[in-house]
Amino acid sequence: MTASVPEVDFASAHEMQPYLREPDAMYVGAPGKHGYLKLRFALDPDGKSILREIDRRVPLIAQQELYFDKEMPEMPCLYILSSGGPNVDGDRYQQDIIVEKDAFGWVSTGAATKLAEMKYNYSGMVQNIVLEEGAYLEFMPEPVFPCRHTRFICDTRLTVHPTATVFYSEIYMGGRKYYGEGEMFDYDILSVCSHGERPDGTQLFREKFVIDPSKNDPRRLGVMGRFEIFANVIVMTPAENIERIYAAVTPGIDRLAMIATGITTLPNDAGLLFKVLGTDTGRVKQKIRDFCSLVRQTVKGKPLPEEFPWR
Amino acid sequence: MSTFTKTMHLLQFTDSTFPVGTFSFSNGLETAAFEQVVHDAETLREFVGSQALQAAFSDGVAAIHAHRAYLKGDYDGVAEADRALLAFKMNAEARLMLQRMGKKLAELSSHLFESQLISRWLDDIRAERVPGTYPVGQGMAYAAAGVSEQEMFCAHQYGVINMVLSAALRCVRVSHYDTQKILFDLAGVAQRYYEEASTMELKDMNAFFPQLDILASLHEKGNMRMFMN
Repeated sequence: MTASVPEVDFASAHEMQPYLREPDAMYVGAPGKHGYLKLRFALDPDGKSILREIDRRVPLIAQQELYFDKEMPEMPCLYILSSGGPNVDGDRYQQDIIVEKDAFGWVSTGAATKLAEMKYNYSGMVQNIVLEEGAYLEFMPEPVFPCRHTRFICDTRLTVHPTATVFYSEIYMGGRKYYGEGEMFDYDILSVCSHGERPDGTQLFREKFVIDPSKNDPRRLGVMGRFEIFANVIVMTPAENIERIYAAVTPGIDRLAMIATGITTLPNDAGLLFKVLGTDTGRVKQKIRDFCSLVRQTVKGKPLPEEFPWR
Repeated sequence: MSTFTKTMHLLQFTDSTFPVGTFSFSNGLETAAFEQVVHDAETLREFVGSQALQAAFSDGVAAIHAHRAYLKGDYDGVAEADRALLAFKMNAEARLMLQRMGKKLAELSSHLFESQLISRWLDDIRAERVPGTYPVGQGMAYAAAGVSEQEMFCAHQYGVINMVLSAALRCVRVSHYDTQKILFDLAGVAQRYYEEASTMELKDMNAFFPQLDILASLHEKGNMRMFMN
């Protein structure tokens, strides 16, 4: 028997108040507009890390786990897909990923996530990522594309044991640059909150960004400047790894290649925060992969394999 | 307390000679100048504007909540705002700055006037039971001095803008006339920020300034040290 799908509601968020109208078309959270995904990685009796549990509701789909990582063939790798195309007005999603004691896994999306134009309501997503003692997860989805008048809000809770490591990355594009006249920063609102805590409920950090281009131009100096793509990576890992990883990263601004990276430590010794700004998706993704490789090398003693040429 | 006295207190607390250490920070401007991101009055104006906005919906919100909690005698509310702000500050040097200035303000306030709440806060800072962030200290000190929430928010914005502009005179090719013009013009924006910040809960604090974050990170790992951050 499958459990009922949890409610996803952001009506209390300050920034979403203008976008609470019920759509004229399919109502908020209607079947097919209320996706749910639960993934649980665990060790089997032979010590192999497997996808122990999967529960899903349309339009979210997860493929079967595959072991295609050349550098870490013991790692179950999984793509999350959506059968519904882009996220549309009134969509609600929840993704729960649990990695049990000493298990490990790699999760990505099969293609970029498109956020469609919205007229009445918004699209919202809740993510709960739980890592037990000694667990390890690399979460590295493809970029998110907002369209004109997109409204999107996402809340990610990372509950991580002090001995576990999570690599959590997100890439946000400015918009569809070559669609029509171009749609850069034409969306209504992007609200993204990621917060970390320990299994006992101790709150460690809370990062929230709200981008509302009609109020404040994201292209101003200090925000994105002349960059168009923004990537954020949160790494929660034990204290000894934090120092080693921090010391090995050289942040910098390359004005010719138009790519910039920065690293700092999270509050309450929770881990590291790595940021990338760029104009070329391939370069931004490569920076994320290089950083992930360093994290994997530090925690698991192995690098990331080369990216597939078709990705 | 008379309006006259309150205004005198407001002027004293916002003065650049008020010894909480504002002079030793540049909020990443030093790196921005070195990287040629900020190189004249116009780019400085944008940079300072971003700093003011970044502070408005984080530090400003925490300061408002601390001010309200102080007037209610609600110490738990003060501590909650303090912890929430530290957990929200993603940049290690920014946390260092807020905590150093916060502790100095708590010590100075305890010297200037009697306040049970501020004394308790200072004890908790020393015992590392609360982080002791500067905006939370501002909220309490201004409330204790009879300064209104709105005036306190003005002082907070003025402090952020003036800190960066003072640093600019030492590391960007601009004149006093340029910096004073920027300060004068930015006064018009603060009211809009207050109107929004005053309706926000602590959970609504937000900031999206990746370029500032990256500049701060370069300073954090770099060798340049005219300013502490």
